[in-house]
Parts: sequence; C-alpha cells; structure tokens
Amino acid sequence: MSDCCETYLKLGHQVPDFEIDTYDPTVKNFGKISLEGQKKAGKWTILFFYPADFTFV
Amino acid sequence: MGAEVVTVSTDTQYVHLAWQRHEKELANVKYPMGADPTGNLSRMFGVYDDSSGLALRGTFIINPSGILMNSEINFYNMGRNIDELMRKFKANLYLAKKKDEGCPSKWQEEGDQTLKPSPEMVGRVHEALNE
Repeated sequence: MSDCCETYLKLGHQVPDFEIDTYDPTVKNFGKISLEGQKKAGKWTILFFYPADFTFV
Repeated sequence: MGAEVVTVSTDTQYVHLAWQRHEKELANVKYPMGADPTGNLSRMFGVYDDSSGLALRGTFIINPSGILMNSEINFYNMGRNIDELMRKFKANLYLAKKKDEGCPSKWQEEGDQTLKPSPEMVGRVHEALNE
C-alpha cells in the first residue's frame, strides 16, 4: 500500500489534461473524453471512480 | 445539469460494454463509462491501489476551467451517497455565481440559507444560521 491513495491533486488547482477511452451506452459506441474537450465545451466534469465492473459501484 | 458524469474503472471499454449489456441494473445508464486500464488517471487522482490494480471509490468535481473543486475517496467497502454528490454539485453551480457566499452543511438548493463571511460573523455563526 506504500504508493496507494496519496492525493496528488490539490483542490482549487488546475487538473492536468487527460484523455480516456469510453463506452457510451446512450449511443452504444466507443468514444473518448478529454478534459481539454470539456473545457472547450464549457462543461463541468464529475469523475466517479469505482473498483471493478461486474461488482457493486 | 451542464455536467458530464464519467464513471471510471481500470476495466477496458470493451468490458464496460459487456457489463452494461449483461447487467439489467445498468439498462438505463446514461453516463459514458471511462476506461483506465493503465491506472494512469486513477494514479493522478490518488485513488489507484497498487496492491490490487483497482481504483478506490473516488468522486471528483472539476469546473469548466479545469479546476478541481471537490474530492471524496471511500475505501472499497463503503458506497457513496448520490444525494450528497448532487448537493455538492448544485452548491458548486450556485457558488460560481455568488463568489462572496458560502454554503453551510445543511444547504440543499438555491434559496436555502447561505453565509457571507465577515468580521461581524466571527464567533457568531450560530446566530447567523438561526436568524
């Protein structure tokens, strides 16, 4: 657990840009989401991490 | 609500697809399901558990300028309260408009009592909340 779970980002500070692959059930297709895209769209982002698919969230 | 909710685990997008198709509880999921198989995003937010390769239950709210506004991390064995997440998000939207106010713990929605920090309030929060 030595490297586990330290908080690397500080509240009130800029989150570095990131991009991840997604599966979007609304369009039943794969896609990508990036923080840069969210900022360009003027949207808030809520990231909701959970341990694993096929378990409770 | 003007926000994109993205669920993220260290599974791939292909596993997300299989799970969402298979699990009837997820039939109405409208959020994009983010894939972080490298754990890089989970590490960045401090939720990656090296001993398991999984992400802990972390929730992060980022404003449209890319600033981190809220963070909450629960261990594996505790779920999150979605009402509280929505309360925090609504408070963020409100406070983005009212920069000199604060939302106390019982604030639920616009119109509820807020606080304006001032010299007069020091030592008198109880009175301010109950006036």
